[in-house]
Amino acid sequence: MTTNVPVIDSHAAPVAGRKNFLNCSSGFLSWAGTLDHKRIGIMYLVGVSLAFLAGGLFALLVRLHLWKPDGMLFDNVQYNQIFTLHGAFMVFIFVIPAIPGSLGNMVLPLMLGAKDVALPRLNLLSFYLWLAGALMATLAIVLGGFDTGWTFYAPYSLYTDQAVVTIGLAVFVLGFSSIFTGLNFIVTVHKLRAPGLTWFRMPLFVWAIYATAILQVLATPVLGITVLLVAFERLYHIGIFDPRLGGDPVLFEHFFWFYSHPAVYIMVLPAFGIVSELVSVHSRKPLFGYKLIAFSSLAIAIISFLVWGHHMFTSGQSTYALFAFSFLTFFVAIPTAIKEFSWVATIWKGSIALNAPMLYTLAFLIIFAIGGLTGVILGALNVDIHLHDTYFVVAHFHYVMMGSIALAFFAGLHHWWPKMFGVMYNETLAKIACGIIFVGFNTTFIPQFIMGSRGMPRRYATYVPDYMGFHQASTIGAMVLGAGVALMVFYLVASLFQGKKAMQNQWGGVTLDWLTPTPPPLENFDEAPVVTTEVYDYSTLDYKAMQTPVA
Amino acid sequence: MFALLIQDPVNINGPDRSPQQAVDAYGQLTKLASTFSHVDGLFYFTYAVCIFFFVLIVGVLLFSVVKYRRKTWDQLPASNTTHNTPLEVVWTVIPLIIVMIMFAWGYMGARDMTVVPLEASRNTYKASAKQWNWTFHYPNHPVASYNEVWLEVGKPVQFLLESSDVLHAFYLPAMRVKRDVIPGRYQSVWFTPTTVGEYHLFCAEYCGKDHSKMYAKVHVVDTATFNAPQRPWDQWEDSTPELAAKSGANLYSQLCIACHSVNGTPGVGPSWKGLFIKNADGTYTGRQREVIDNTDGGKRKTITVDDAYIIESVHLPEAKKVAEEPYVRNAMTAFPDLDERKVRGLIEYMKTLADTK
Ligand code: HEC
Ligand SMILES: [Cu+2]
Ligand SMILES: [Cu+2]
Repeated sequence: MTTNVPVIDSHAAPVAGRKNFLNCSSGFLSWAGTLDHKRIGIMYLVGVSLAFLAGGLFALLVRLHLWKPDGMLFDNVQYNQIFTLHGAFMVFIFVIPAIPGSLGNMVLPLMLGAKDVALPRLNLLSFYLWLAGALMATLAIVLGGFDTGWTFYAPYSLYTDQAVVTIGLAVFVLGFSSIFTGLNFIVTVHKLRAPGLTWFRMPLFVWAIYATAILQVLATPVLGITVLLVAFERLYHIGIFDPRLGGDPVLFEHFFWFYSHPAVYIMVLPAFGIVSELVSVHSRKPLFGYKLIAFSSLAIAIISFLVWGHHMFTSGQSTYALFAFSFLTFFVAIPTAIKEFSWVATIWKGSIALNAPMLYTLAFLIIFAIGGLTGVILGALNVDIHLHDTYFVVAHFHYVMMGSIALAFFAGLHHWWPKMFGVMYNETLAKIACGIIFVGFNTTFIPQFIMGSRGMPRRYATYVPDYMGFHQASTIGAMVLGAGVALMVFYLVASLFQGKKAMQNQWGGVTLDWLTPTPPPLENFDEAPVVTTEVYDYSTLDYKAMQTPVA
Repeated sequence: MFALLIQDPVNINGPDRSPQQAVDAYGQLTKLASTFSHVDGLFYFTYAVCIFFFVLIVGVLLFSVVKYRRKTWDQLPASNTTHNTPLEVVWTVIPLIIVMIMFAWGYMGARDMTVVPLEASRNTYKASAKQWNWTFHYPNHPVASYNEVWLEVGKPVQFLLESSDVLHAFYLPAMRVKRDVIPGRYQSVWFTPTTVGEYHLFCAEYCGKDHSKMYAKVHVVDTATFNAPQRPWDQWEDSTPELAAKSGANLYSQLCIACHSVNGTPGVGPSWKGLFIKNADGTYTGRQREVIDNTDGGKRKTITVDDAYIIESVHLPEAKKVAEEPYVRNAMTAFPDLDERKVRGLIEYMKTLADTK
């Protein structure tokens, strides 16, 4: 979509010495107290990246420990703490806030042609709540750790003598950070769209963040209440979940999954948004089935509130409940499949650039196909009874969480990196890292599918020797994956110091985020943009007149 | 570095977990040993559908990438189509039909697994889960077994599941059976074992420290073995003190090893080494033990370890607690179903660990 303000030569190198949001002010307070959505986005980016590296380190420890059937590194209590830390850090501190917090904050107002989000102070508060939550989680480690799994299932979480209350409060605070972010984005999308930017001219990343925000606001309070109830029950012995006090542990599972299933979509919808965006830009084609993709995000958001019971197929629900939950679960598969098909159809006959962001996107498309399809296997009731709580489930959700969401996050990071920092990373290294990550990831998790279907239960510090070969293959894969991620961190950080200057419009995008200077000025646009064309209309750019991008 | 790590699996503490589970013809699942073949049927059907769609999606993707790859910066797309209604209808409706088939098939299978037939309910076992042990009670036989259970081949069986502490799950991969075990309510599962053999029974719901060691072995045996006058789970060789000690050692490695060492190393509970002292004349005396006697208002006493004390410790651990840090704070699992004969076997085993005077 073009604007009435083609003030900048959209593909020229940035003008030297221009003030942008990075260099317009300096000093600690200019960051710590900033209300600028771009700076807050970068603070989130640093924060969630550290959380990802910490979570990844825990994962490597888990994998190393499982090299031998009776464990290599830890006793059982330590192992249980470490897999719990891995899950809790990855889910609550990394995946949930990662894309909305960092890229969402960065890009959403740019895409809308707004100066900032609607509620900049609330935005900063969200960040500090995230920080407080992350620090409390770290404090819980110092206080002796916690070993409940990220699911906090009662009554174990009520009896264990570890720092459950601290981590519970951390999750509570993190929940508020998420709610505030969602609220902010909803208001921003409703109120701050540029003139001419109708709903159906919004880029799909905006749609995805919008659908996510609705889920964040509606679902997260349930999680907050649930962990508070656990904390109360631990501290004051009110019988809610503890059968000894007349409570019901299955009620906890219902509460927990009523949040945590929609949370899967809180995590994955932004990833869908990024992929929709990147597939279009790097194929230079309008998205196939734009409206269908937009609506399928909303459909997924709504149906996702009605399928939580599929995490509890073995908990003894009535067959009627099994019927309804399984039926609706299969129903969610359809809009998800439509998305995947539409992305592939967008790439079909496109002008496909094999640059780093696109390679990460292609890796996403392959991995997400596996993640989604194995979800269908789990949706079948009788099969799920066999596979529930085995490594098959572990592998399935890692294909979605790590393979899809984290890869989409990496893709988006590579896509908007030049926009954010005005520099390009070394693309050759980026392509190599992407390959290493792809190979490492699949080597880690394909063996887990097999041992899971043969009955290897999850959360095991030791295991019967039958499964040793699969565990060792998985551990080797994890090392390769770790090396790929390390390489990625290296070249990204290095680019900040010695990266080539990025082009104004590095990839030839036509959404508003590419039509501002790079990096954007403090208030995003030199002149308020007005949108006059349809979304993803690449005929509005004259590619011949633009020079070939560097790197 | 890895050369150092690659070693043969060493024996795991606790019950012998040797049975290598055979793999079925397609190499994915453990060989089925119950009548729930619909699980495997639907699994492989879905698997085939998944492979088909995966090949389709990735095939089209890679084909496009190769064929339409951008060669010059200003290359425009070969087509700008954004809609194709027939195609969109097809890729909505066909997956919908396929998943509805899976749904119906899976639901019927799950009903089969959930609704316990009369025949199975006439052969009801009880499986009690407790951090981190399984106890099995048999229909029509008073002796219980721990972490091992015997079933008759071809006979439908129901398990009533109960937990006295946290969540567990009763998982028999070879039978395709899994059910959460929930404190405060009974759950049940049923199945018909079809093949004689030994199978893994795992706890599949995280339950704390030794979740991964909460393991039981399932023996499916033929009718003659099952009904032999000396039932397979009621065999306890104690005709001589040596044999009794051997049986005791075996039981120790199944039930007590998690908390008690036999070499003096402190564990959750005190080591058994030195509980008895061997006198010069070959007889044994118990050591002196300071305990908190909860049957007597929590008084601190010094007692001499003897058979009665040990039997009480096993059946009612809270009665007399060892008054020593950290043991006095740690709880021991009670084993009220362990009959006296077996505890005496354990005592014989403890005596083999005696310090000589
Ligand atoms: C969950 C851990 C645990 C398990 C399993 C366990 N115990 Fe204990 N045991 C303890 C603890 C803790 C104590 C000390 C506190 C007490 O006296 O209750 C103890 C004390 C004892 C004592 C008293 C020892 C002394 O030094 O005075 C005996 C005898 C005993 N256990 C026997 C057994 C036997 C036999 C088994 C297996 C059938 C067993 N225990 C399994 C934790 C355990
Ligand atoms: Cu779910
Ligand atoms: Cu368990």
